Amino acid sequence: MSKIVVLGAGISGHVAASHLRRKLTKEHEVVVVSPNSNYQWIPSNIWVGIGRMPSKKILFPLAPLYKKKGIDFKQAKAVTFHPEGDLEESKPYVMAEYVTGDKQGTQEKVTYDYLINATGPKLNFEATNGLNPGTNKTYSVCTYTHAEHAWDGLNNVIQEMKQGKKAKILIGTGHAKATCQGAAFEYILNVEQELRKHKVRDMAEITWISNEYKLGDFGMDGMLMSYGSITMKSSEMVEMIFEDRDIKWILGAGVNKIEDGVAHYENLEGDNKSEPFDFAMLIPSFSGHGFKAFDKNNQEITDKLFKGFMIVDADYTPRPYEEWTVQDWPETYQNPSYKNIFAPGIAFAPPHTISKPRKSRNGTDIFPAPPRTGMPSGITAKLVADNIIDSVKSGKESLKHKGSMGNMGAACIASAGYGLLDGSGISITTFPIIPDYKKFSKTQGRHLGKTFGSIGLAGHWLKLALHYAFIYKAKMKPFWWLIPE
Amino acid sequence: MRRISPIQRFKMMNPIIQLFKFFILSIKVMVIVAGGHGGTRKVN
Ligand SMILES: Cc1cc2nc3c(=O)[nH]c(=O)nc-3n(C[C@H](O)[C@H](O)[C@H](O)COP(=O)(O)OP(=O)(O)OC[C@H]3O[C@@H](n4cnc5c(N)ncnc54)[C@H](O)[C@@H]3O)c2cc1C
Repeated sequence: MSKIVVLGAGISGHVAASHLRRKLTKEHEVVVVSPNSNYQWIPSNIWVGIGRMPSKKILFPLAPLYKKKGIDFKQAKAVTFHPEGDLEESKPYVMAEYVTGDKQGTQEKVTYDYLINATGPKLNFEATNGLNPGTNKTYSVCTYTHAEHAWDGLNNVIQEMKQGKKAKILIGTGHAKATCQGAAFEYILNVEQELRKHKVRDMAEITWISNEYKLGDFGMDGMLMSYGSITMKSSEMVEMIFEDRDIKWILGAGVNKIEDGVAHYENLEGDNKSEPFDFAMLIPSFSGHGFKAFDKNNQEITDKLFKGFMIVDADYTPRPYEEWTVQDWPETYQNPSYKNIFAPGIAFAPPHTISKPRKSRNGTDIFPAPPRTGMPSGITAKLVADNIIDSVKSGKESLKHKGSMGNMGAACIASAGYGLLDGSGISITTFPIIPDYKKFSKTQGRHLGKTFGSIGLAGHWLKLALHYAFIYKAKMKPFWWLIPE
Repeated sequence: MRRISPIQRFKMMNPIIQLFKFFILSIKVMVIVAGGHGGTRKVN
């Protein structure tokens, strides 16, 4: 009998737990430890943040589903890692602290045979002075509660504009090394469309602020893509969209301080500037959770497990950008020191960024951290689960399933406005996610046939269809497993 | 600045054209997703 513990019930944790449960017989235990009682389909937070979708449509409670499916659920947060056990407990364990109910605050040693760390990112608002959702007129859409607050804030500004007050809206990244530009990109386009629907577009100045060197970088070094019958750079596509929608932009900006209605930033030229706003949605930097790890004798071994995020089978040797290769990226997401620990999704430490690192004249790093979107998070979680399933069934380690982001495609369907007949979406697919400059040397590291962009109503329908399909899948309804990650 | 011409915009927002586009897009996305993934390192 094996016990598999999954930390986190986001996209990757939930995908891993559901596949493990489906494919392993009931004699094996699947345990999920996660502090949030709900599953949330994060990509639809964008629509919560413009008041077009109530948050109850993007979430559901995990406990009843897990009970029905035979998954043990502990509403708790992992605190420390003990991959060798300790002097009293011979099995490896994670110390978990309950966050609710009678057991709130109590800690429990959750032992395991296999551990999947799918704890995603810590939303590191503290890294930017004054960036705290709901204060200083700044908001976030990273969780459904943040997105609800963002809509309240935006709605207030819309009402003020209806009374004749002009407003400045600032959307983008709130830290010099933030990631997830795609989410901010979706939000700015949705906000722009909402202002038009509320007939206040002419009252607002909308500005994109980002740590990207060029528009359309998205933390992926930009891309060359097929667009209809032509080949276009992602920077050109985003520039076309922003100009068409009268959105201004500030690039190479490392936001370092927020005051009430003012964002202070340093740019790549080394100038310190500020941008006023009446409403801002700024994505914070993402960091690891700051977990500590201990060996059998209670000596700290955090650096064997973590490098910010969790260490996996990547090549972490520091090298200049010109020497980076796709082979640096992990394939099995297995920790090299403790082979029964895995970290899919955002929880693994990337070997380096994807975008070219850049410093300001003052030496400040200003460039996007590497994104790990929903699709690779799901795919990596499934392959980790499949390797564990094979290992459990065969009784010996199996790492047959591999999935490097350098040999994996991603589809990003970015909402550009909500509405069944007047909505819009920007569909972008990329293969591979990590540009392979050797294999696709003439096309900026990507396969042109599989890297394309498309704009229009169909993109909105597709995004909506994916919303319903993925919630159906997450609820583990009949044949859920036929829907790919 | 109008960067998208009226004809392009018509094509982007026409429900009939977009319905075809929806099916094509869905297939293209499925091909990328179901197209598989793998390692990048050669094992000697
Ligand atoms: C606004 C927004 C829009 C997005 N839109 C898209 C999109 O359109 N398409 C796309 O592909 N991607 C999108 N993404 C990215 C996508 O949401 C992420 O790639 C994905 O959520 C990552 O999955 P994950 O499981 O690794 O992390 P998460 O989804 O963040 O899950 C982490 C889980 O770990 C839990 N956890 C945290 N701390 C602990 C702890 N100490 N112990 C145990 N559990 C813990 C959390 O509660 C959570 O359940 C978007 C992201 C945002 C913020």
